[in-house]
Amino acid sequence: MSVKYIPVQWNPNKWIYDAVMLAGVALFLWVFLYVTPEVLSHERAINPQIHNARAFGACAFVMLTVILCIGPAARLDKRFLPLLYNRRHFGVMTAFVALTHAGYILNWYFAFSSRDKLVGLLSANTSFGQVAGFPFEVFGIFALICLLILAATSHDFWLKFLTPPIWKRLHYLIYAAYFSVAAHVSLGILQDQKNHVFTVLFMLGAGAVIVLHIAAWLSERRETAAKDGAWAEVANVGDFREGYAKIAKLANGERVAVYLMEGKLSAISNACAHQNGPLGEGKVIDCLVTCPWHGFQYDVRSGRSPAPFTEKVPTYRVRIKGDMVEVHPDANPPGTYVEPVPLPEPEPEPDTPEEGATA
Amino acid sequence: MSEKPFFVGYLPAPGPLRTFLLTVCILLIAGLGGAGLLMGAAQDDPGPGAFRFDYGRQTVTGVVELTPYPVIHVTEGNDRIKPGDSFLMTAGGKSGVDSRAEPLDGQLAQVSGVVLERGDLYMLQLRGGRNGLQAAEGDAPVITPEPQGRWKLAGEICDGKCLAGAMRPGRGLAHKACANLCLLGDVPPIFVSTQPVLGEEFLLVTGPDGTRLPREAYDYIAQFITAEGEITKRGDLLVWEIDVDTIEVTE
Repeated sequence: MSVKYIPVQWNPNKWIYDAVMLAGVALFLWVFLYVTPEVLSHERAINPQIHNARAFGACAFVMLTVILCIGPAARLDKRFLPLLYNRRHFGVMTAFVALTHAGYILNWYFAFSSRDKLVGLLSANTSFGQVAGFPFEVFGIFALICLLILAATSHDFWLKFLTPPIWKRLHYLIYAAYFSVAAHVSLGILQDQKNHVFTVLFMLGAGAVIVLHIAAWLSERRETAAKDGAWAEVANVGDFREGYAKIAKLANGERVAVYLMEGKLSAISNACAHQNGPLGEGKVIDCLVTCPWHGFQYDVRSGRSPAPFTEKVPTYRVRIKGDMVEVHPDANPPGTYVEPVPLPEPEPEPDTPEEGATA
Repeated sequence: MSEKPFFVGYLPAPGPLRTFLLTVCILLIAGLGGAGLLMGAAQDDPGPGAFRFDYGRQTVTGVVELTPYPVIHVTEGNDRIKPGDSFLMTAGGKSGVDSRAEPLDGQLAQVSGVVLERGDLYMLQLRGGRNGLQAAEGDAPVITPEPQGRWKLAGEICDGKCLAGAMRPGRGLAHKACANLCLLGDVPPIFVSTQPVLGEEFLLVTGPDGTRLPREAYDYIAQFITAEGEITKRGDLLVWEIDVDTIEVTE
């Protein structure tokens, strides 16, 4: 959390995150560029420029695949949440790797011609009416533009400027980029390969992204089935745990996090004001709800970040009906204080005979 | 109920989570390395084509013929290129030598450059200007075309220069845009036949009646096709005048 914009708010976890990411990317490229030429028993080597282009292109695909697997994996198993923490650095790095791939392609296949390279790229192949031989480069161009937009707008300044909902929607471009990369690869290199190892790896990667997203969606649907009525049911009184929340999905699609703090219930929006992170999956630390994604904090009673921070989220009214905790679907303006609702005192347990006593 | 470890980015990772995260980090790094190895080692052999700088600069004399792509029929060779050989020529980059060859059509000329070689496919990338192609003294013998009839062939149209080794790999659908760009720059197109034709795997492919490869054929470049056309032997080079209307894409 910060009240001012600086390029990167470094902390030890971010250093570790980036170090691991860079180590993985460096290892991929080093193995592809310097180890595999020794493994390949070609009479004449692949042109270094083409070899480099392939290395960076394959690396970008693998990085995108990992990035898209992190989200659903974290929803299925909370232990993966730390991988979300600095994912934007992963995305920016992917954009640079993809840009390097494009540079090698442009400066090799489309160089040495009397035409401008970009003109050659866009005009050399115009067979748009066919699958085999389709100018697959356009999919690569589109994916690269998407990745560059995402990288350029990854900073918190853009989050604040665009507002989280718009920023979040803009960053769904990652899916368009991934589908475009899949088309780029499918209509390009996969059409030529006689060795199908890459094809299998490509399908495994894309398959993992699809399966994880479906699994996360099904899991979420089971957990937060929409409920009818003016007041939405959240959970039974006995299901609440001190310092943690239960999440309710309202009929309008919004999610509410109902927290138990110091024996009282309070409800706030499940969407963090920072990046729409799931507040209900966080916990109370130092009397403040803490977002599991980037640690933004809010007073659960008012939805306000502690001073000097200014973030605010909507709050909701809570009631207990019978044994059921319910929230009202009409959100209060962000930052509105709502008096917490105390949980009913547990009924005293019936007397039990003392050890050794007999009836 | 047990306390689940909760990660906050700006705080030290909870102890129970550290082992899990360390395992994930190791698996991620190792997985990326493994993926690099598998993907890098899965690349196909680009074939034997290459620039033969090791042959040194080659300078020979012969008759220039426009098919319309410029061909030279060697009359005075050297240790490597013999009289009677016929081969195609290009300029540096994605350019042909048409403008330099047209004034010398049917005449004797001296050519000089570096060889591109892929099996029986031979091509000379000429030096710039008159150093690469200039008129030579002497009478030019007449090159008589030898019609070989109409053939239906199966194979792939490529740009001759990349195929011959300017790029490795220099054929296939992933290379199609580059091939198109070469052909637009007047690099000679080559048909790679799936079966030898009159003993040859590579044929210069042109349009009918001495025209360039029609633009309609560009959609089929780098695809496996069948097509019909007249074959003519010019020197020791086979020239296939493809009939674009007969092109069919095959599996």
